[in-house]
Amino acid sequence: MSSPQKSSDKLLTRGFVTLLGHDKYQSITTPLLAILLSLLASSLLLLVLGKSPITAFISLLQGSGLLPKASYAAKKSMFTDLLSTLNLLTPMIFAALGVAVALKAGLFNIGISGQMLVGGFFATITVGYSDLPMAVAVPLVLIVGAVCGGAVGALIGWLKHKFNINEVVSSIMLNYIFSYIISFFINTKFVNAVSRQSQYINPNARLTLADFELFGLKMDIPLGFLLTIPAAILVLFLLNKTRTGYEIKVVGLNKKAAGYAGIRVGKNVILSMIISGALAGLAGVTLYMGYYNSIQPGVLTSVGFDSIAVCLLGNAHPVGILFSSLLITIVAKGGNYMSSVLGTPKEIGQLITGLILLFAACGAYIRYRTNLAKDELRDKSADHSEGGEDL
Amino acid sequence: MNTIIIDGLAFALPLFIIAIGGIFSERSGITNLALEGFLGFGAFIGSATVIIMTGGNLAGVELPMFFIALLFAIIGGALFAMLHALLCIPFKANQIISGVVINILAAALTAFLTSQLNSLLFGKPTNKFVLGICERFTVPGISKIPVLGAFFTDVYYYEPIIIVVALLATYLLYKSRFGLRLRACGDNPHAVDAAGINVSKIRFIAVMISGGLSGLGGICFAYSISASFNPAIYAGYGFLSIAALIFGNWKIGPTLGACLLFGFARSGGYKLAQGLGLSSSYSDIIMILPYVLTLLLLMFFSKTNHTPRALGEIYDKSKR
Repeated sequence: MSSPQKSSDKLLTRGFVTLLGHDKYQSITTPLLAILLSLLASSLLLLVLGKSPITAFISLLQGSGLLPKASYAAKKSMFTDLLSTLNLLTPMIFAALGVAVALKAGLFNIGISGQMLVGGFFATITVGYSDLPMAVAVPLVLIVGAVCGGAVGALIGWLKHKFNINEVVSSIMLNYIFSYIISFFINTKFVNAVSRQSQYINPNARLTLADFELFGLKMDIPLGFLLTIPAAILVLFLLNKTRTGYEIKVVGLNKKAAGYAGIRVGKNVILSMIISGALAGLAGVTLYMGYYNSIQPGVLTSVGFDSIAVCLLGNAHPVGILFSSLLITIVAKGGNYMSSVLGTPKEIGQLITGLILLFAACGAYIRYRTNLAKDELRDKSADHSEGGEDL
Repeated sequence: MNTIIIDGLAFALPLFIIAIGGIFSERSGITNLALEGFLGFGAFIGSATVIIMTGGNLAGVELPMFFIALLFAIIGGALFAMLHALLCIPFKANQIISGVVINILAAALTAFLTSQLNSLLFGKPTNKFVLGICERFTVPGISKIPVLGAFFTDVYYYEPIIIVVALLATYLLYKSRFGLRLRACGDNPHAVDAAGINVSKIRFIAVMISGGLSGLGGICFAYSISASFNPAIYAGYGFLSIAALIFGNWKIGPTLGACLLFGFARSGGYKLAQGLGLSSSYSDIIMILPYVLTLLLLMFFSKTNHTPRALGEIYDKSKR
């Protein structure tokens, strides 16, 4: 056995294991530790800058509408801020759910931003520039977005199945191909001469009721948000309660075993990419036709890349994703207000997001160390109770 | 014709050195999507050093400062790459996720530090360091040869430097003992371990080399295309070099071909759009060429494409 440890060391290991090692709660405690560490790191950064971390975190919550600010502009309140946060939260949830479905099939969909762009662009030029009434336009936008996103997903899945092209590689290529093509069409056909972005869409087709006046407040009501929780439940149901979900998960865990068990691997790879892409398409329409109402040519949204780490932070579980998306959106949304309160550069919010995502990526290591420490403790207690074992 | 070659070469060579960085990392078995972050951070360190040393007044000292920028960009990129190496090797994080996160972090960190530094030095929180454009030279005599002479006309100072570094890197990867071990780590790390060599150490160094070379490529882009360090450096050059190295089958020679092809396609596309009197939007169509070519290549020649066998796998000694 290893050399005798100091008792304080042992106590620390034991405390560590008690906190993190519980099998049932490990999937929650590990991300929580990652978040805690990232908040500590952010506090350290703020202290170095000579700012109070507590003021900073309170201002984050104030900026995102979870705590009241000292004063508000006319027709604005904490509630309008909160709605605006939910508006940005919507695409993040859809995108991270999309990452999760692909991940369950063992695929990394890093083409989420490309799929968002394709869904958003096609919905914009077909429905967004039409005169359809709202009752027709809004469902149509969602359908077009999901179908186009799903089609791109299907292409990536097909390339993987048919030609064995790594999905990470093909989605990077497709991201840039779509970004340039769409940029070309926006610049030549749909550009707004003033904003240098695509023309604004017809308000009837927008998934956010902008400047909606109610109770003397001017608010942006995110219609898409109403769909996020049902979507999360649907994904949960699909993965845990249906045969398709089971097959997808088996393919994700072991392709060979899945094949021998009579599961059609190719079909499930493509299917999971279609679902993933469709969710990304929904994220695209809620971003480009909800939170914004136009598309900036030549730019892939950061939501697509953030969502990969957000999904990981939420343990690729739909409920976890709801919470991790909320956290990242609070930082993104509250970041501007925080920087104005603290007088720091406005990029501080992005930096804190980056730190959270960085520690989220270490989740696997935290889990690995916990389990290692757990095994060690088990070995030790087995040594103490010699002879008392059944083996 | 001459401008196509001059501009194409000026773009292809920085891309090439970043792609070599990617090859080092991937041949050692570490998937590297973080090239984008490395090149941005390296370029940031290089340009920040110059701005701090000169106080923003580059007049008269452009050339020495340019070399200092190159040096510090390499160091900065290599140090920042340690983060990716740490996450992927001892921390056993997923390499794709780590790469994505590093890119996000690099963009946020450099933007933050740039405006923090600008407000400290100049009282203005702007998001860029103005560097100017690297000087060029023309080789007398040879540059008069038709077509071929264009390769020796208006050459940026960084181009010969990149060629020398690329030659050194090629020697290191294919002819040295370290290179042999590095390539073995990417194909069969267990065999390397069995030979008594530390796989983690080799991979760690490989990722750092990758960061240093990316930093060099990044500062060259900052000194040519944008004439400054600003967030536009994250325009996808890292991903383009990943396309190039896949196109080049993870080998340095063919990757150079891919980079030259991408570079000339780009400058040729601009020239063509200009010549036909089309708006600059049409060059967007040319820009998809590298990505389409890479996809097609993968579709039809995937049998002959050799991905390093242990690429992306976390090395676990106890596994067999």
